[in-house]
Amino acid sequence: MKSKWKNVKGYVRVEIIGQESSSFINKCIQSGIQIWDIHPLDKDRVLVSISVTEVRKVKTILKENKLKIRIKEKKGTPFLLKRMWKRNGFILGMLSFIFVLFLLSNMIWNINVTGANPKTEYELRKAAVEIGVTKGKFIFLLPNVREIQRELTEKMENVTWIGVTQHGTSYRFEVVEKEIPETKQTTGPRHLVATKQAVIHSVFVEKGQPVVRANDYVKKGSLLVSGLIGKEKKPELVSAKGEIWGEVWYQTEVEVPLNTSFQTYTGKYKNRHYVSLFGLELPVYGFSDGEFQDKTETLNETPLYLAKWKMPISYIKKEIRETDGVKRSYTKAEAIEVGKQMAKKELAKKVPDDAKIKGEKVWQQNVSNGKVKITMLYQVIENIASEQPIPIQQGE
Amino acid sequence: MGKLRQQVSKWMMQNLELPADVVMDLPRITMIGQLHIYIENHRGVKAFSNEQLTLKLKQGTLVIKGSEFVIKTILPEEILLEGTIASVDFEND
Repeated sequence: MKSKWKNVKGYVRVEIIGQESSSFINKCIQSGIQIWDIHPLDKDRVLVSISVTEVRKVKTILKENKLKIRIKEKKGTPFLLKRMWKRNGFILGMLSFIFVLFLLSNMIWNINVTGANPKTEYELRKAAVEIGVTKGKFIFLLPNVREIQRELTEKMENVTWIGVTQHGTSYRFEVVEKEIPETKQTTGPRHLVATKQAVIHSVFVEKGQPVVRANDYVKKGSLLVSGLIGKEKKPELVSAKGEIWGEVWYQTEVEVPLNTSFQTYTGKYKNRHYVSLFGLELPVYGFSDGEFQDKTETLNETPLYLAKWKMPISYIKKEIRETDGVKRSYTKAEAIEVGKQMAKKELAKKVPDDAKIKGEKVWQQNVSNGKVKITMLYQVIENIASEQPIPIQQGE
Repeated sequence: MGKLRQQVSKWMMQNLELPADVVMDLPRITMIGQLHIYIENHRGVKAFSNEQLTLKLKQGTLVIKGSEFVIKTILPEEILLEGTIASVDFEND
């Protein structure tokens, strides 16, 4: 332990030349100077180790005793560093090499886009530039892959999904484009048939022979407008066209719990930054937890790479957001009201956009296990016509 | 007076089982074979050479003889000597 300190501070091996080496040793001890490894060389020469910080004190003792000093060796860290500094170019070169390698391996070198047509690819690259993903950017300054993926998917409109993966220094964007099917104009001869069971409300026929009238009851698949017109014996085939509005009954079931608790963010947050060294998290910036009563924490880890190897150092950003537990409770009447709205929304998903809701009715309602269960019935007027091609009969 | 004190401390040592070096201010010498010798309670170096180390004690001197002597550490009351130790002699003068 002691000898290690000597090395840290640095010490010198000196030759003390002159008579009476023992009195020199005694003087040193008396004035509290540490000396060690005392080698007698011959009658009037002694080799001694002295700490660098005490050389000056020793010199005054030597003057008093008319002794001479000759420095033989310099040992310990300060001298070693001095010697190493002489080759500083070498060391600096090595360090800067590692530094440059480190920087370069944390840089984006390549961005690949697969699965996109040129137009989408161009737009995607432009969107990527906007959020900072370009060649030459440092990876550790960018949001992580998940975040990039989310932002890009939000920005791009004509894309269903973008998969972002990072392979070392390159990013790969996998694009799945939206395929908007073109509406085909069927012009062949066809009938119009009912898509569902309904009571006919009104009939508008542009082409073809109407088979049903208002207030008729039709089943699914029954013929509404025939594509065969003209005389019975010699019918003519046409492409039936028209709108048949029918009254359809829909049943939706919704459940509304009377008591619900929610977790909402209050908007207050604290960020904490860490540097993780071999799994040990050292806080760098942001030390308070925000003293939130309820909170959620999200961790964002960005590892650093040297060439292709993941370093044991990574940067961690911890987001602490305050949450608020909100309890919502309905009375039975309120619950039914909310249930009705929910049911209507449910219905809107099922029916086509141009459908009209004619009437609604609460069919069943009961309260059990803290929930209100409502079954709603809706009368909806919608277009029930769908095309059915008429097979061309051969051999006639 | 000094004689009385010496007698008292000798009595204390024998009857109270106190270590002699503490009570009577005597040197405590520890040796490891011929390689090391560790002396506590010395009163300074009288002479030092390759073959001989003479230490002042409270009473008399201690002469250590041998070869290739090196003082490894020296503190006001302790000394660690290395080398090949041949003999340790007490000299009362």
